[in-house]
Amino acid sequence: MTGIERAQLVVLIIFGIDTVLVFGLFILKGTHRRSMVHREQRRRGYVALLSRHITYEHCTDPIDASMVQDPAFLDALIDVRDAVVGPEAQTLLDIADQYGVVETQAAFLEARHPLNRRLQAAVALAEIGDESVAGLLMEHLKDREPEIRIQCARGLVRMKWTPAIEAIVTSFSKQTPWVRARFADTLIGFGSKATWPLIAYIKVNQAFDSAGPALAIRTLATIGDDQAVKPLLSVLDEADDVEIVIATIETLGHLGSPIAVPQIQALGHADDWRLRAKAASALGDMSDVTATDLLEQLIRDENLWVRRNSAAALAKIPGGEESLHNALIGDDAYAADAATEALTDSGALTAARDRHDRNTTTSLDRTLLKRVSTGGEVSV
Amino acid sequence: MILDAIRWIGYGTLVYFILMQTYLLLLAIGSAKSLRRSHHVNRFGRVVEMLSSRTSPPISIVIPAFNEAAGIVDSVRSMSIVRYPRFEIVIANDGSSDGTLQALIEAFQLERIRIPYRPDLDSAPIRAIYRGRGGVDITVIDKENGGRADALNAGINAARYPYVLCTDADVVLDADCLVRSMQRIVEDRQRTIAVGGNIRPLNGSRVELGHLIEASVPSRLIPRMQILEYVRTFLASRPAWSHLHALPNVSGAFGIWKKSAVLAVGGFTPGHMGEDMDLTMRLHRYHIDNKIPYRIVYEPSAVIWTEVPDSARVLRRQRIRWHRGLMTTIHDFRRMIFNPRYGTVGLVSWGGFFLFEYLAPIIEFTGWIVVPLALILGALNTTSLLWLILIAFGMGLMSSLVALLLDETYGYFNSPTDTSRLLTMALIENFGFRQLTVIWRIRAMIGGESVRGWGNMERRGVANLGANN
Repeated sequence: MTGIERAQLVVLIIFGIDTVLVFGLFILKGTHRRSMVHREQRRRGYVALLSRHITYEHCTDPIDASMVQDPAFLDALIDVRDAVVGPEAQTLLDIADQYGVVETQAAFLEARHPLNRRLQAAVALAEIGDESVAGLLMEHLKDREPEIRIQCARGLVRMKWTPAIEAIVTSFSKQTPWVRARFADTLIGFGSKATWPLIAYIKVNQAFDSAGPALAIRTLATIGDDQAVKPLLSVLDEADDVEIVIATIETLGHLGSPIAVPQIQALGHADDWRLRAKAASALGDMSDVTATDLLEQLIRDENLWVRRNSAAALAKIPGGEESLHNALIGDDAYAADAATEALTDSGALTAARDRHDRNTTTSLDRTLLKRVSTGGEVSV
Repeated sequence: MILDAIRWIGYGTLVYFILMQTYLLLLAIGSAKSLRRSHHVNRFGRVVEMLSSRTSPPISIVIPAFNEAAGIVDSVRSMSIVRYPRFEIVIANDGSSDGTLQALIEAFQLERIRIPYRPDLDSAPIRAIYRGRGGVDITVIDKENGGRADALNAGINAARYPYVLCTDADVVLDADCLVRSMQRIVEDRQRTIAVGGNIRPLNGSRVELGHLIEASVPSRLIPRMQILEYVRTFLASRPAWSHLHALPNVSGAFGIWKKSAVLAVGGFTPGHMGEDMDLTMRLHRYHIDNKIPYRIVYEPSAVIWTEVPDSARVLRRQRIRWHRGLMTTIHDFRRMIFNPRYGTVGLVSWGGFFLFEYLAPIIEFTGWIVVPLALILGALNTTSLLWLILIAFGMGLMSSLVALLLDETYGYFNSPTDTSRLLTMALIENFGFRQLTVIWRIRAMIGGESVRGWGNMERRGVANLGANN
């Protein structure tokens, strides 16, 4: 074969592939649009069908095996499941069970391939929340696909399967940050039942890991169970890791228990500015009036974020606005800037402007308005 | 002897062109693999759960604005309704003279305030700071003109959150683009320092109240050609680079940056015409030199729509500016080109950029002169030349077609008219448009006063792009 003949062959192959791609593109565009429209139409039909079955006990509209195999049926089932509770939800689960939806999806989940079908099956099982597959979902908490692990955890929360709490919490440190974050979100669904497993996990792992325990501590904040306060105070005493300490301060601030105030106030004098800044924010979240003196000191801190957080905290504490006005007229320009921002964010500036328009300004209003009108200079 | 040299240069340019198309094709195939997986996870994964999660880090959206009165309000509205649990909008008004600031003050009930502002990054002097009284958490920094990079630096200084999204005033964000891109940060908060998004031209599409209502391919050739270019760049190259940990550029139109990492390398370089690429490359170099684990990733499902030039005049200015930015960046980071010390960044993406972006106009232009000359002098065989040209053209077409197929992942432009328009572009772009861009890039290399500076984009505003386009 000569060079020219080889080139001709290459050109032929390339243009052959190009032609296939052009036709493929047209076909794909056409079928994609049509299949999307058809799938949506079928989904709507199934939603109507399922609604009839839920509403009328003796509905005779048939649901057959071919429908159950249709992905649009699954979409419809998930949509309706999201919209109903109580007996209606139970009727829907019975339908799913009766027509083999759960079994079919469980089989897809257990198969090795393809990924999209396994993922869809995991989503469907998580949404349906049928207790008969709890064991399967527990097994797949260790699935090789991160997204499937997340869906299984969601499903277990949906069915309030409490044995899953331990399994989810203990696997925290082995998960990727994304899966760990989603696992933490699912644990919130168990409410206070997750408090003690989380505390146990924190206590065991705080010396070896940072991200896992810190996330577990933040999860406790969202759960909002007061039982976590005392164990968290002991974490504050024992922990060396700054991320864990920060997460604990935030959570204690969020839980708002007065017994945490002395320890958090003590952290207002920490060497690390991040701890001082977080302590200031937590004291603001707790709205504790005994913290006013400390916050008045912290608003003059050398660090910008400590000053900002302290000013914002004072704005939340009863009587704190007066301290902010004092900072405004004081000789510390940096503290005055932080106070100005806090008064702006709290709405005091807008109120002062309104009073100015009605000629009813107070001396404090005038101070604030004067300071703002000369804005533009920077403070470090 | 001279005849031999001309012959080899002639064949060399054609072989170079084939190599370039092979490189692009390989990237497209790599991207296809990466997109397929991300598509499944995005379709069935419940990223939306981030919206109610305490694990979602807050973010500051930083927008530099210079004479953007036509579209800034619509853009900010589109940004204010994105789905994300906690974010603020920081606009750096870069000394606009067209009423941009006034438009913002009226639309968002801004009031002048005084807040602590720490100039961690250098920028032109600040005149005043405003904050919104309405429901949108918006801060406006009014500053002296200093250019885009300078304005971004001022915005980053004022940002209160640990991540900053640097974007433009002429973009429309998809409602889920923030949550989808921030997912990549939550995946690995320790190492992820930047996330790029998928930019798509907005011209021809219908936008209402800052929302994209319908995407379609414009009838005008210039923006239509750019749709194909953007699809090739954002779907047929970047996913592969990201997969290889070698993303050389996080686009200026949508880039999420870890604030501490940006501060560590000194922020955007004022006056730089490719400030986004410059920052991306500085981050690569800084982290590799200091042996700090990091990753810079691309998220194709984070879709952002932007206005692109719709006339050859404006497009010329934009391309000259881009190429000058590339030239400066290539020069600044020349030690990284094919340097194994910099891993896949040096060997694959930066090396590829040098070979197939920086050198391309020079080699292609040389080919235009040498190949006809060689033909006239009889140094080249006409038949073999024709076959080589056909191979190069066929491969170029193939990478465009693969890119359009990859675009099906997102299912835009499904009407037969849109499909035909894009296919026509793939066929005809090599006959005129490509040559024009080569000439513009050569012009950028020659330099001179007329190609310095940014020039005006002549914006129509995002809401006015659909009609008659």
